[in-house]
Amino acid sequence: MTQQMRPSLDDPRVAIPADSTWYEPAPSPQTERQAEFLTLREGEMFVNMGPQHPSTHGVLRVIIKVNGEKVVDLDPVLGYLHRGVEKLCENADYHQAICYTDPLEYVSSLFCEAAPVAAFEKLMDVDVPRRAQYIRVLTMELNRIASHTLFQGWMALDLGGITPILWAFIERDEIVDMLAALTGQKLLYNYYRIGGVNGDLNHEFMSRLGTWMSRAAAQIDSNLALINENEIFVRRTRGLGVLDAKTALKMGVTGPNLRASGVPFDLRRDRPYLVYPELEFDVPTRDEGDSLARYLVRMDEIKQSIRIIDQVLHEMPDGPVMAKLPRLLRPRPGRAFGAVEGPRGVYGTYAISDGTDQPFRMRIHDPSFVHLQLVGPLTKGNLIADTMAVMASLDPVMGGVDK
Amino acid sequence: MAWNRLTPAGRILAVLLPVLAIGGALTTVLLATFGGAIAATIGANLPIVRFLVASVVTFLISVPVAFLLIYMEMKIIALMNLRIGPDRIGPAGAVMSVVHGLKVLMKEDYTPPSVDVPVFTLAPVVVYLASFMTLLVIPFAPELTSMGFELGLLYFFAIGGLSVVGLMMAGWSSFNKYSLLGGIRAAAQAISYEIPLTLSVVGIVILTGTLSLPKIVAAQDGSFLDWFIFRQPLAAIIFFIAITAEANRTPFDNAEADQEIVAGFATEYSGMRFGFFFFAEYVNVFIVSALFSAVFLGGSNPPIHIDVNPQILIDLSALGIGLPLIAGIAPIVGTLLFAAPIWFASSRVKGWQALVAGFLIFGGVSTAAVGIWAFVMLPPVASLIWFLIKTFALVFTFVWMRGTLPRARIDQLMGFAWKWLLPASLLNIFATAFAVLIAGR
Repeated sequence: MTQQMRPSLDDPRVAIPADSTWYEPAPSPQTERQAEFLTLREGEMFVNMGPQHPSTHGVLRVIIKVNGEKVVDLDPVLGYLHRGVEKLCENADYHQAICYTDPLEYVSSLFCEAAPVAAFEKLMDVDVPRRAQYIRVLTMELNRIASHTLFQGWMALDLGGITPILWAFIERDEIVDMLAALTGQKLLYNYYRIGGVNGDLNHEFMSRLGTWMSRAAAQIDSNLALINENEIFVRRTRGLGVLDAKTALKMGVTGPNLRASGVPFDLRRDRPYLVYPELEFDVPTRDEGDSLARYLVRMDEIKQSIRIIDQVLHEMPDGPVMAKLPRLLRPRPGRAFGAVEGPRGVYGTYAISDGTDQPFRMRIHDPSFVHLQLVGPLTKGNLIADTMAVMASLDPVMGGVDK
Repeated sequence: MAWNRLTPAGRILAVLLPVLAIGGALTTVLLATFGGAIAATIGANLPIVRFLVASVVTFLISVPVAFLLIYMEMKIIALMNLRIGPDRIGPAGAVMSVVHGLKVLMKEDYTPPSVDVPVFTLAPVVVYLASFMTLLVIPFAPELTSMGFELGLLYFFAIGGLSVVGLMMAGWSSFNKYSLLGGIRAAAQAISYEIPLTLSVVGIVILTGTLSLPKIVAAQDGSFLDWFIFRQPLAAIIFFIAITAEANRTPFDNAEADQEIVAGFATEYSGMRFGFFFFAEYVNVFIVSALFSAVFLGGSNPPIHIDVNPQILIDLSALGIGLPLIAGIAPIVGTLLFAAPIWFASSRVKGWQALVAGFLIFGGVSTAAVGIWAFVMLPPVASLIWFLIKTFALVFTFVWMRGTLPRARIDQLMGFAWKWLLPASLLNIFATAFAVLIAGR
């Protein structure tokens, strides 16, 4: 059977005259939803944003069906950054798997390490030394602040303000340098180990942390003053993309996006791990559920993180930072789920062991993936510019979405 | 071949010299033959010739103005962003924007397939033409107005409004949805803001009774309290917001919102065609600032008239043969005078370094002295400097807004123009007319 060839620009046999108009043939719809999406009514057109677009936070492609400026329908296309991380992990031993999960969410990669480490430790019944637990809490909260300050800059940048991102990068740079002094890497730290952390706190880290802590709160407040009271910023985000608590729970939303809808669910408090039960912190929530609320919840979380770091530094015990473990880890057959509360939501790892030194199956749950499905429902009926405001407030990182 | 051994500069000279020689000879012959006829034609059509010469001059000054503004914006926004900004080319990166311009000139000028070629090619020309032609009526000083039209203000709005035609042409012909959205946004925005912009100056036209910009400037003569920004504050606010939207500047830069529609109408343009859009934007910023300072900030009038008449008359002809002598000796003596303290102050400074520093200081001091003399003695220079100070203060405001404000949404933008600015400008007209009626001018 001769298959009908579709014209392709890459095909040298298909000559396309330079002055002709070349349209991409529409794909035949596979599902009902796709068929509905692909039918254009009077006055509508598709605008393709991405995978190379100034404000899609990486390689996200969003097909927007617009009627003038109004977004009628929207379809995010994922997978441009798919690397097969889960499969890679299944072909590596337990230690090696951690460094594959590291670059998933490159903005806050310590959480991507913490989730598989937690699962593996449950699988092997390892007792993590208390000092190592404190160090984990300390570094994770630092990373949370770094991620949220970057979010603040992104959010302002997507609304057209060019200065806040460079101001936000001051804090992020300082934290990243600090963590580089501790772990040797600026972005993909690969610091957590099964049974502890790789190396104790060193002098440079502590001195940088001390200097930063003395001015952090004031500096972050001044960064917030740059945009929080801005009339244009508030008018563009208030009441936009309202997500109610019921829908949020139904959709599986977690993290700040859920708390901005008024559900005070925080894994650190509700399913405690590490030494979080011993620390005192609030879970900031907002009832509005709009873009502004999602932004403000994150900014409140920065303050709580500073509070946690302060307590951790006061209560840090002495002792080893690594449990005594055999070099080759062979957990008994079983399954375990480990999860941590990251800056974007719940990072989870589900690992199955078959008794060998490699995980038999590893499944990574990433919050950004869940949140991206909200872009469509939240943006419908708004304008093109609102797509950016909604997407920025959901704060997806494509590295984690495409895995 | 000798040609191969020549340096690039030598090659240019080798071509240029014969061309100049032949051209010069031909020109001389032509002038000698038809000189009288040419002079007669020019004399008969003086307004047209004046208009053509003024257009060429404004075109020639618009390009350096764009370079200066681009450099200003790069540097000021860098300072606001806690960056260093351009610092490689020229002192403090001052030549950076010129190099940007040359780079744009040398880049490939690509016309994508399936664009509407004539419209696509003409669009940047229309945009740039519309922006620099409005420079014609800007009254830099009473003596330095290119064309003092009686209907200057009307001409400004008419020609300035033409640029949106170019943007629409670019957006429509590019065969790109981002361009289309950008072009339509630009059109919608420009049409909405043209109305409050035009209506806001009607109050001033009522007060002065003229549309001529030099006469409006002359009406603000006196202290700074006579400026129209204090007599028509509401109009000034409306006018400022409207010109921000007219010049497509943040927070109203929806037509080229790069976070939403990539580069708007300019998405498909590259090379110098993009350069024309880019330059036109900055020339526009300068022009609207100049217009604001002319209409509301007293233009070339100083804020306070200080009535002193220092008579620093230098009668150069009285010096006789001493003039060339002084002109020859003064730089040398001045350089040595300024170099000596530097050389004596530190043993680490070499002799030639001190001389160079001395020469530079002498240059600065003498330029400043001549400048101050000209400012005091020559009214056009003083007027021009006052005008430029006000204009660049406004340019700084525009850059400052770009550094701090996010972008307004398109519906908020349009709603603001129709729901607030238009009624406010109408209110301003009625209030002014009523006041004039009661006070009887």
